[in-house]
Amino acid sequence: MNAKTSKRLNMKERYRIMTRDLDWEPSYQRYEDIFPQESFEGIKITDWSQWEDPFRLTMDNYWKFQAEKERKLYAIFDAVSQNNGQMKISDPRYLNAVKLFITAVTPLEYNAYKGYARVGRQFGGVGARIACQMQSIDELRHTQTQIHAMSHYNKYFGGMHDFPHMFDRVWYLSVPKSFFEDASTAGPFEFLTAISFSFEYVLTNLLFLPFMSGAAYNGDMNTVTFGFSAQSDEARHMTLGLEIIKFILEQHEDNVPIVQRWLDKWLWRGYRLLSIVGMMMDYMLPNKVMSWAEAWTMYYEEAGGALFKELERYGIRPPKYAEQTVTGKHHVSHQAWFIFYQYGHATAFNTWIPTAKEMDWLSEKYPDTFDRLYRPRFELLAEKAARGERFYNNTLPQLCQVCQIPLSITEPDDDTLLSHRDTVHEGERYHFCSDGCRDIFQHEPEKYVQAWLPVHQILQGNCGGADLEKVIGDYYRIEMGEDNLDFEGSAEQRRWNAWKQAV
Amino acid sequence: MSYEVTIEPTGEIVEVEEGQTLLDAALRQGVWLPFACGHGTCGTCKVQVLEGEAEVGEASSFALMDMERDEGFRLACCCRPESDLVIEADVDEDPDFAGHPVQDWTATVSTIADLTPTIREIRLTLPGEGMAFQAGQYINLQVPGVEGTRAFSIATAPGTPNEIALHVRRVEGGAATTWLHEQLEEGQALELSGPYGQFFVRKSDPKDVIFIAGGSGLSSPESMILDLLDDPEDTRRITLFQGARHLAELYHRERFEALAAEHPRFDYVPALNAPLDDDAWDGVVGFVHDAAIAHFDGRFSEHKAYLCGPPPMIESAIGALMKGRLFERDIHMERFLTAADGAETQQRSALFKRI
Repeated sequence: MNAKTSKRLNMKERYRIMTRDLDWEPSYQRYEDIFPQESFEGIKITDWSQWEDPFRLTMDNYWKFQAEKERKLYAIFDAVSQNNGQMKISDPRYLNAVKLFITAVTPLEYNAYKGYARVGRQFGGVGARIACQMQSIDELRHTQTQIHAMSHYNKYFGGMHDFPHMFDRVWYLSVPKSFFEDASTAGPFEFLTAISFSFEYVLTNLLFLPFMSGAAYNGDMNTVTFGFSAQSDEARHMTLGLEIIKFILEQHEDNVPIVQRWLDKWLWRGYRLLSIVGMMMDYMLPNKVMSWAEAWTMYYEEAGGALFKELERYGIRPPKYAEQTVTGKHHVSHQAWFIFYQYGHATAFNTWIPTAKEMDWLSEKYPDTFDRLYRPRFELLAEKAARGERFYNNTLPQLCQVCQIPLSITEPDDDTLLSHRDTVHEGERYHFCSDGCRDIFQHEPEKYVQAWLPVHQILQGNCGGADLEKVIGDYYRIEMGEDNLDFEGSAEQRRWNAWKQAV
Repeated sequence: MSYEVTIEPTGEIVEVEEGQTLLDAALRQGVWLPFACGHGTCGTCKVQVLEGEAEVGEASSFALMDMERDEGFRLACCCRPESDLVIEADVDEDPDFAGHPVQDWTATVSTIADLTPTIREIRLTLPGEGMAFQAGQYINLQVPGVEGTRAFSIATAPGTPNEIALHVRRVEGGAATTWLHEQLEEGQALELSGPYGQFFVRKSDPKDVIFIAGGSGLSSPESMILDLLDDPEDTRRITLFQGARHLAELYHRERFEALAAEHPRFDYVPALNAPLDDDAWDGVVGFVHDAAIAHFDGRFSEHKAYLCGPPPMIESAIGALMKGRLFERDIHMERFLTAADGAETQQRSALFKRI
């Protein structure tokens, strides 16, 4: 076989010819006026021609493929709604994972759409611009298809009716919101390092796999199908993440410490954000997929470990505090669910005590921590609930200034002590959940002093007054007794049982 | 039962076992294909089957749509061949690849010489016009009584297509190399095929070149350097770093010292990492990548680098080069794996394609 005799143009050549002359050299405007954000982060780009286009897709093909995906996806949505797909789910408690997804994750997709549209404008290299443009459109498609996938359930279940409003106001949704706004208000290279590399490449399996497999295990056809449809776009997103990190690191050695700091920051922020996924996996899925600790081992420690070992060749070390995530994986889901359980009157979904069978599963998956620390707590709460004293916490917690999670997570080396750090900046004291979050603050205090912290805002009277019921009902638009509280005795449970009897 | 899959446009060939996926076979045989998720949902590893039959496997209907299936597209991570295949993948053809056809040969052993206590040179005579190959490429040798073939780099320059030399290190417990060291005799006939491989000098790139060789990994660089120095038009600077444990294992030193004396654009730096007292060695002591760091003051940018030798040497050399700001596009290598090394089991990310 002689490769030289082949007359067929290869994919790279075909793409080059199809896209030639789509970029141009400016003649009457200065480069730095056209791309004003390219240099202010300190990243040095010497030669955009070294950018290796990570995917060679022309726009006409892009539309053709995406249209076909939509046709397939909406055919499934139609079939699900015609067949009363809401009744095929394993257990109505499962829907609470969907509520969490549409309020916490779908708005992130929309923010990603805006973010890529913005930063794509800022790169001098045409390859990076096109990659961001396509991803921006993908993210908008993901937003829309997620909303459509879940809108069927919105006809029958609570908590999903006002998700964009809730995303902007509800206390726990400030965690994903502030995460993404931190990235969106950073420069274009930090945005791509944060979202394309740290989130889409390193952590994406820990977000999508649990939700999509969770949907598959619990009879939610719409979400599974949406997941496959979105994952087929992820090829481009992941390769963009890899290419951007390699490109920045290879362009100039002065970029290495900047990238290192971004990786330290964004992997820590991503880890904290994913606490809600851990809780979803371990507590909210009636049919379990795998435990959070298992997922973290497989996707972060093993797959991420191989990646960081190879990144060492660039002079990049594993992210700071990575070892804390490894000890934390045995605790974080239990601690997060306990937070949501005690504030279950202020959530747009139901909470509950795990069943005896579920607690046994948790004991098996968390042999070193569950029986020792968390089972006794849940058993006590179950006892109280049985006496009619279901515990709701009416005090407001201190939130971390950076990740905005309540300071309810334990020390990395002492699982009986809450972790609490603070620092004084310009005469004000600020509080943090961890060394990782405090480091992030201390590097850019002027950014994080502006954080919109839900508890502070309530106490300042900016959330509809001093009455917690008013905050929850009027300001958050969580309908008391309908969207929130314990699953046991909830409107959702009553309706489900009535429907099941009717069949 | 296995199938032969030819990957266009590079012309690389991989053997895919029954039930094995195309991606798995390619990666295990050192042939890079684009990939990401590895389980049929993302579509990064999409290839088109040009000739032959292959089943689709567990590809998601969103990652590989019906219209694409009809056009012969497959996902390499799920696709299992059902015949020999020719596929097109999104890999770059190297403009310097000459694409000399692979042929089967019956060679005759002309001479056998011990280069060191563990490495011997086997010179083979090829019939007819001989083998057209690019300096740096290798052949697959059929060793009598040993199943499968063994790869050996050609140590001679392409200018002598009828006479090629192999440097064979005796691998402890290795059936093939033990036989070649103990049983092989001059005049004997050996079956081989070749040339193979993507390890050759990228002559279209005019940058100065660095060779880093360890043990019998000197073979390819020797061929490549002889070829480069043979071209009177060529002006690039060439530096060879040759690593060995101690003096007795360092071979062809006089040859390279003579070449360095004759060609001002060629530098030769031998390094011993464990010289014996009797060696009276006054050259560089240390690993070969450290010798390269010292020689270039840790800065390797604006070079092309060619690495050839055992995997640990390659790993250290890549680390040194990248720390010195030379990256994947300018680093080329041939890893000398033994049969015992087998397939690489360590988990890899998709960060690097070849290195």
